Amino acid sequence: MSSNTAPSSSAGAGSADSAATRRSKRPKYSRFTQQELPACKPILTPKWVISAFMLVAIVFIPIGVATLFASRDVVEIVDRYETECIPLSSRNDKVKYIQTPGNKTCSRTLTVKKHMKKPIYVYYQLDNFYQNHRRYVKSRSDKQLKDPNSANTVADCKPEDKTNGASIVPCGLIAWSLFNDTYTFSRNQSEPLPVNKKGISWKSDREHKFGKKVFPTNFQNSTLKGGATLNPLIPLSEQEDLIVWMRTAALPTFRKLYGKIEVDLQQNDVIHVTLDNNYNTYSFSGKKKLVLSTTSWLGGRNDFLGIAYLTVGGLCFFLAMAFTIVYLVKPRQLGDPSYLSWNRNPGGH
Amino acid sequence: MSGWNRSSRSRLGGRSNPPLERTSTTTTVRLGRVQPQAPSNRTIYCNDREANLPVKFVGNSIATTKYNFLTFLPKGLFEQFRRVANLYFLGISILSTTPISPVNPVTNVVPLSFVLFLSLVKEAWEDWKRFQNDMTINNNSVDVLQDQRWETIPWKRLQVGDIVRIKQNAFFPADLLFLATTNADGVCYIETANLDGETNLKIRKALEKTWDYLTPEKASEFKGELQCEQPNNSLYTFTGNLIIDKQTLPLSPNHLLLRGCSLRNTEYIVGAVVFTGHETKVMMNSMNVPSKRSTLERKLDKLIIGLFITLFCMCLIGAICSGVFINYKYYYLGLRGSKGENISYSSFNPDNRFLVIILNMFTLITLYSTIIPISLYISIEMIKFIQSTQYINNDLRMYHMESNTPALARTSNLNEELGQVEYIFSDKTGTLTRNLMEFFKCSIGGEVYGTGVTEIERGIAQRSGIKLNEEYTSDTVHDKGFNFDDAKLMRGAWRNEPNPDICKEFFRCLAICHTVLPEGDESPEKITYQAASPDESALVIAAKNFGFFFYRRSPTTICVRESHVEKVGDVQDVSYEILNVLEFNSTRKRQSVVCRYPDGRLVLYCKGADNVIYERLADGQDDLKKVSREHLELFGSSGLRTLCLAYRDLSPDVYESWNEKFIQAKSSLRDREKKLDEVAELIEIDLILIGCTAIEDKLQEGVPACIETLARAGIKIWMLTGDKMETAINIGYACNLINNAMKQFIISSETDVIREAENRGDQVEIARVIKDEVKKDLKRCLEEAQHCLRTVSGPKLALVIDGKCLMYALEPTLRVMLLNLSLNCHSVVCCRVSPLQKAQVTSMVRKGARRITLSIGDGANDVSMIQAAHVGVGISGQEGMQAVMASDFAIAQFRFLTDLLLVHGRWSYIRLCKVITYFFYKNLTFTLTQFWFTFYTGYSGQRFYDDWYQSLYNVIFTALPVVIVGLFDKDVSAALSKKYPELYREGIRNVFFRWRVVATWAFFSVYQSLIFFYVVTSSAVRSVDSSGKMFGHMDVSTMAFTCVVVTVNLRLLMTCNSITRWHYISVGGSILAWFIFIFIYCFADHRKSVYYVIFVLMSTFYFYMTLLLVPILALFGDFVYQVLQRWFFPYDYQIIQELHRDEPEGRRREDLLEIGNNLTPAEARSYAVAQLPREISKHTGFAFDSPGYESFFAKQAGVYAPQKAWDVARRASMRRTAKKK
Repeated sequence: MSSNTAPSSSAGAGSADSAATRRSKRPKYSRFTQQELPACKPILTPKWVISAFMLVAIVFIPIGVATLFASRDVVEIVDRYETECIPLSSRNDKVKYIQTPGNKTCSRTLTVKKHMKKPIYVYYQLDNFYQNHRRYVKSRSDKQLKDPNSANTVADCKPEDKTNGASIVPCGLIAWSLFNDTYTFSRNQSEPLPVNKKGISWKSDREHKFGKKVFPTNFQNSTLKGGATLNPLIPLSEQEDLIVWMRTAALPTFRKLYGKIEVDLQQNDVIHVTLDNNYNTYSFSGKKKLVLSTTSWLGGRNDFLGIAYLTVGGLCFFLAMAFTIVYLVKPRQLGDPSYLSWNRNPGGH
Repeated sequence: MSGWNRSSRSRLGGRSNPPLERTSTTTTVRLGRVQPQAPSNRTIYCNDREANLPVKFVGNSIATTKYNFLTFLPKGLFEQFRRVANLYFLGISILSTTPISPVNPVTNVVPLSFVLFLSLVKEAWEDWKRFQNDMTINNNSVDVLQDQRWETIPWKRLQVGDIVRIKQNAFFPADLLFLATTNADGVCYIETANLDGETNLKIRKALEKTWDYLTPEKASEFKGELQCEQPNNSLYTFTGNLIIDKQTLPLSPNHLLLRGCSLRNTEYIVGAVVFTGHETKVMMNSMNVPSKRSTLERKLDKLIIGLFITLFCMCLIGAICSGVFINYKYYYLGLRGSKGENISYSSFNPDNRFLVIILNMFTLITLYSTIIPISLYISIEMIKFIQSTQYINNDLRMYHMESNTPALARTSNLNEELGQVEYIFSDKTGTLTRNLMEFFKCSIGGEVYGTGVTEIERGIAQRSGIKLNEEYTSDTVHDKGFNFDDAKLMRGAWRNEPNPDICKEFFRCLAICHTVLPEGDESPEKITYQAASPDESALVIAAKNFGFFFYRRSPTTICVRESHVEKVGDVQDVSYEILNVLEFNSTRKRQSVVCRYPDGRLVLYCKGADNVIYERLADGQDDLKKVSREHLELFGSSGLRTLCLAYRDLSPDVYESWNEKFIQAKSSLRDREKKLDEVAELIEIDLILIGCTAIEDKLQEGVPACIETLARAGIKIWMLTGDKMETAINIGYACNLINNAMKQFIISSETDVIREAENRGDQVEIARVIKDEVKKDLKRCLEEAQHCLRTVSGPKLALVIDGKCLMYALEPTLRVMLLNLSLNCHSVVCCRVSPLQKAQVTSMVRKGARRITLSIGDGANDVSMIQAAHVGVGISGQEGMQAVMASDFAIAQFRFLTDLLLVHGRWSYIRLCKVITYFFYKNLTFTLTQFWFTFYTGYSGQRFYDDWYQSLYNVIFTALPVVIVGLFDKDVSAALSKKYPELYREGIRNVFFRWRVVATWAFFSVYQSLIFFYVVTSSAVRSVDSSGKMFGHMDVSTMAFTCVVVTVNLRLLMTCNSITRWHYISVGGSILAWFIFIFIYCFADHRKSVYYVIFVLMSTFYFYMTLLLVPILALFGDFVYQVLQRWFFPYDYQIIQELHRDEPEGRRREDLLEIGNNLTPAEARSYAVAQLPREISKHTGFAFDSPGYESFFAKQAGVYAPQKAWDVARRASMRRTAKKK
C-alpha cells in the first residue's frame, strides 16, 4: 500500500509489521567510536622526572656558559652625556637651553678599557622615549615612504601631515622627531675615526619599505622642529638614519645604530667625541647615551640569555638532585593503593 | 509529522536534528501544561469548502523549520547574538572600527565571523534536515472526496471540512472526525505509538448516525455542521456536537482520530477533517522542551564573569595610568591642543584627563578582548556533539542485543553532567525489575496455591543461610506470563477443592474483569493479548490456563471458553454481556465490570488494591479477610504484586437505578470524571471477597551488581516506586539497595495512630495527625541518624518512606528535616508515590541540596521525574516511549548506567574540565603578555602583536589541539573506570573544576606571560647578531608570539593523560600553521610593519636561543607543580594509572572474544526475532497503578478517565491544594 510507505524514516516504533525489515542496530566497532585509539600514556614517574631535569640541565648549562662567554667577549663603552653636555650655567633650565638655537657642541672623552675588534658599532641610546606609544606608532605613512606617487597619503600622519597645505614627505611624528645628535670621533686627539653610516639598517627595510625615488619634501618646514632635517636630494632608501629611526623600538629604552667604526681600537686608547647635542630629551627627562660596542656571534653585550640558561640549567640540576634524594629517602611506591582517597579515608568523605 | 514516524531507536536523525524531535511527541509530556481554551467554538461545515472559506482555517501543511530562505540570516544571527560572548565580540568589533581602537577591526571580526559562520552552518544544516522532513510529510498523499470521487492530493492541500479516506496502515493526515469504516460495528483500530508510545491497538467507534457514509457517492451526500472546541493541546479531551439533519449528536474524544496515529486492522475509514496542520492536537503539543544546561556550563559562566571582572580591572588600571601619564612634555607625541580636535587626539589630550581615561578604557577593552575565549562555546559544542553521537551512541558496551537497542544520547548538552551525578532516582518497575509479570501464586477463599519460590525469597534465604530445596518439574505449564504450578488447581482439579464455587468466581473474575483485547487466532495456543499492563494479560493468561479461555471481545460482550465447569473435560462457550466498565485510575485503584450471565445473573466483578477492596467488602467475612490479609502480606514479603478480587451479585432493580445515575454522570459535561468516580462508589460496595492473586516481577539483568558498583562510586540511589512498602523494601534487598547491615528508618502511614484518625474520617483531622506523626518520626530519625554519624564506624543508613507521609514531609516546614535526613542516608526508598511526588523528591534534592541528580525510568509516570532531574535517562527498547521521549539519554538496561556514568560521564567531565581550564589559561596568558606591554607604552593601549596574530591565535594556532583533547583524553581505560568506581567520586566532588584549579591555572598564566614578555624583551635590548643591528617592535613581538604559540601548544600535551597520533598531528600542525602563516604573511605586504620580520628573526642565533629557552622556562613552573602534585598529593586516577601502567591498552582478549561473538549478524538477528513476539510494555507501580492501564476501550462506553502521567500529576497537585484549603 503506497500510503504506508510515505515517510522515509518511518521505523514504526515497535510495530509488528516492520519486524520483517528489522535490522540490527548494533554499532559497528571502530577504535575511534569505542575510544580505544592507540595512545602513549606518559606517567611522571620519578625516573622520568629526574631524567627530564637532568636532560635540561645537561643541555642548558653548556649553552649558558657559551652564551655568557660570548657576551663577556663583547666590549662595550657607554657614556651618558645628556647632563654633562649642558653648560653648567644652563643646567637649571635645560629645556630652554636645548630649545635655544645655537652651537651646542660638546666634547667627551672615552677610554678603551679592552681591545676592541672592528667593526665597532656606535649606538645612541634613549631612555624614557616612548617610541611605542600608540599615537606615535600610528603616525606614519608606509605607503608614502615607498611610493613616490603617494606623497599625499598622509591621513595617518596627523599632526605632522601637512605644512602650509603641502604634504610632508616623510610625514608623521616618527619622522618628525628624528634623532639629530651627531658624533665625530677621533683617537688620541689626532687620528680621526671615520664613522661609516652605510648598511646600518636592515636590508629589507632599505629595499622594500623606503622608496628609491621618494625624496624628502617640506620636511621640518613648520614652525616646530622636532628633530633632524633630511637632505631633500637623497632618496629615502638611502637615508639610513631615518630608516633605523623608523623601525620603532619595542620598549621606551632603546638603542639605535648610529654607524660603524671600521678600525680596531686598542686598549687604553682615548677616544675623543665631538658631539652636537641637539636632541631634546630634556622636556621629558630622558637620558641620552653614546655606546660603542663590538659584537659576538650572539650580538651585543647581554648577559641575560646566558644567565637565564645557567639559572634554568642549574635549577634543573638542583631539582634533579633534590628529587633523587627525596626518592631515596622517602620513596613513594608507584601505585601505592594506600594513597587512594577511599583507602585513606574509609567510610565516605 | 516528522517526529512521530521516526522511532527514537533509529539513530537516523540522531543528534543531527534534535529540535525536530523536540517538536514532536517529546513535548506532549510537559507537566500540567494545558493551554487555556478559547471561549468560542469553531463551526465547521463538512464537505463544503465554500462555507468554510470565511473562517480561514489554517492549512494542513506544517513547517517545523526555524528559518526560511529570507529570514535565515537575520534570525539566525539574532539567535547567535543572544549569546553574551558573541554580543560582546560584536560590540568589540564595532569599537574596533573607531579611531580609539588600537587594533584593526580584523582582529576581532575574524574570530567572530569564524564562530558565527560555524554556528550558522550548523543551524542551516539542521534546519535543512527539518525542511526536508516537512516536505516529505506535506507531500504525503491522501484521498479526499471531490465530486463523488476519491482524489489523491498531498497532505498539505487538505482543508478543514474535507472528507477523506484513510487506508489501512496509513497515518491520519489531520485530526479527523471518524464517520465510517469498513469494519462492522463502526469501529476501527488505531495505533497511537507516535503519540504515547503504546503499541497496543485502541478502538475507536463512529457515531451510528454516520456509519453509512462509506462510499464516495454516499459520502458526498454528507452535509454536517460540526461545532467543537477551539484547537487545544489536550490529547485526551474533545467536546463537540455534530449537527446532521437538525439532530445534535454529542461528540467525545472517542470520535476523534488524531494526526500521528495510524490505522490498523481496518481496510479503510472515512473521516471529516476537524483540525489541520499546526492546529492538530499533536502539533499543539510541540512546544519546546526547556533545554537543560549542565552544571559545569553554569560554573563556566561564573568563570567568564570572573574574566570580565579581570578585564575590567586591567582596563581600569591601564586607563587611570594613561590619564596620569599623558603630558605635554612628551612633545614627540604631538600633543598640541588646538590642532587635531578628533577622537584620536582627545584620547591623549592632557587638558582633559578624565576624557583620556574614559576613551582609553574603551581602547583597552578592545585591546584585551582576547581574554574572553570566543571560540570556547563552539569548541565545547563540537566536542560534546561528537562525544554523544560518536561515543555514547556507538558504544558496544551499551548495546543491548536482545532488544536490539543501542544507547542514544538525545541531547549533547549534558555529557559532562553524567560525570558528576550524586543522586540517582530510579523507578522500580521496568527499570530495576524486568517488566515481565508472571502469575505466580494465588489465594482463593483462604487457601494458598502455587509452589514457586521467588528470587527474592531465594535471596532472603541465602542471606539467612537457609537452604531451599527447589524441585523443578519440567512438565509445568509455562506460558509466557504464567509461572504457576499447583496440581490442586490445574486441569480442572479445582473442582475437588473445598470450595469450587469460589474458585469458579475467581477464574471468571480473571477472565471477565479486564480491558484486554485478544488478537490473532481464537485458539489458546495462538492467541495474543493486547493489554495496557502486563499484569492484566498475566491474569487473563492465568484464567486461560485454568480453563477459562477468553477469546473474543465485542464492545458489549466477552466470550469465554469455559472448561471443566460442569464436569471435567467439558468445554462450552459462554458469552457474557458487559454492561458497564468502571475504569481503573490511580485514585480508585480498582476496576470493576458489571456483566450479565447468559442466564440473566447480574454480577459486578471487581479487582484492585487490597486496602481499597477491603474498605468495600460486605460485613461478615472476617475470617476470610483475616486469612487473606495474611496471605497478602506473605506474597508482599516475597516481592510479589498482589491484587484482591471480589464480586457482588446485583438485583436488576438495584442495577437499573444505579445505571441511570451512571448514564447521567457519563453524559455530564462538567466534572465528568469526578462524577463517574462518585457513581462508581455507589455500586462498589458490599463486595464479597474471592481471593487474591500474586504476580512475580522479575529483576532486570545485572541490577544488583550495577547498584553495588554505583554505590561504591559514591552515588546514592533512591528508589521511587508506586509499590507497597513491603514489596519495595524487598526489591530493595534483592537489588542490594538495602542490606541488613544498614540501619533502616521507616516512616509509614500504616500506623495505628494514623489509621485511627482515618477511621474517624475527618479530613482536616487526618491531615493534622499525619503531619504531626511525620514530624515526630522525622525528628526521631534525624536524631538517631546524627548519632550514628557521630560514631566513627556507624552503620550505613537507609530510609523508607511512603507516599502519604512524603506528601506531608515535602511541605516547606518539614522539607529541611527530610532533606537533612535523606541526604545522610545511603539509600532511600519511597513507596506508593505518585508521579508528581517523584518529581517533587527529585527537585527537592536538586534544589535543596544542590547536588547533581539523575532520574531513570521507563514509563509515562516517570516523565515528570525525568524532566525534573539534571539528567533524565529513559529505558529504551521497550514499547513505551514516553520516558525516552522526555529523557536526555536512553539506554536499554539499567546496568548500562555503569558505562554511561562511570565511563562516558567521567571522561566527558574530565575532558571538558581540561578544555575549559585550558581555554581559560591560553587566553589569559596571551592577554597578559599584552597587558604587561601596556606598562611600557605609556599606557597608550598600543598593541604588542600584529592584528592578524591576535585574530588567528584563537581560531587557528590554538584551536584544534584542545578539541582533540576534548575528544581523546583518557586518564584510565574504560575497564579500570569500572573496576575502580571510586574514581567517579572525583567528579562528584568536582575536583577538576574548582576555584583552586582555576586559580592554579591563573597563577601559571601570570607566570608564563611574565616569562614571555620579560625574557623576550630583555634579551632583545641589545643588538642580536654580529651585524650590530637592532630589533624593532615587530621583531620582538613576533618572537614573543612564536614562543607563546609553541608553549601554549606544548602545555596542552602536558595536560594529556594519553597522547594519540591525533595529539601529535594537531599540536604539530598548529605550530606549523603558525610558521607557515608567518612566512606567507611576512612576504605578503611590504607596507606592513611585519614585512620580512620572520626572516630577519630567523637569521639570528638569538631566535633559536630564545625559542629553546622561553618555552622550557615557561613550562618549568607547570612541570614542577605537576611533579610535586603527583608525588605528594596524587589524584586517585594517577595512582590507578601507576598501578596499571604496564598493562596493555585496550580491551582484554576475552572482551574482544565476546565482541566477536556478538558480531555475527545472524545471531543478532535470531535474537532480535526471538524477541519479537514478547510484548514488553510499560507498567508502573503497585499492581495496576499505571496510567497506561486506562485504555481507550473503556472510553467507548463513555467512561472518561484521566490518562497520562502529566494529567495524573496535575490532578494530584490539584487535590493536594484542595485539601490544604
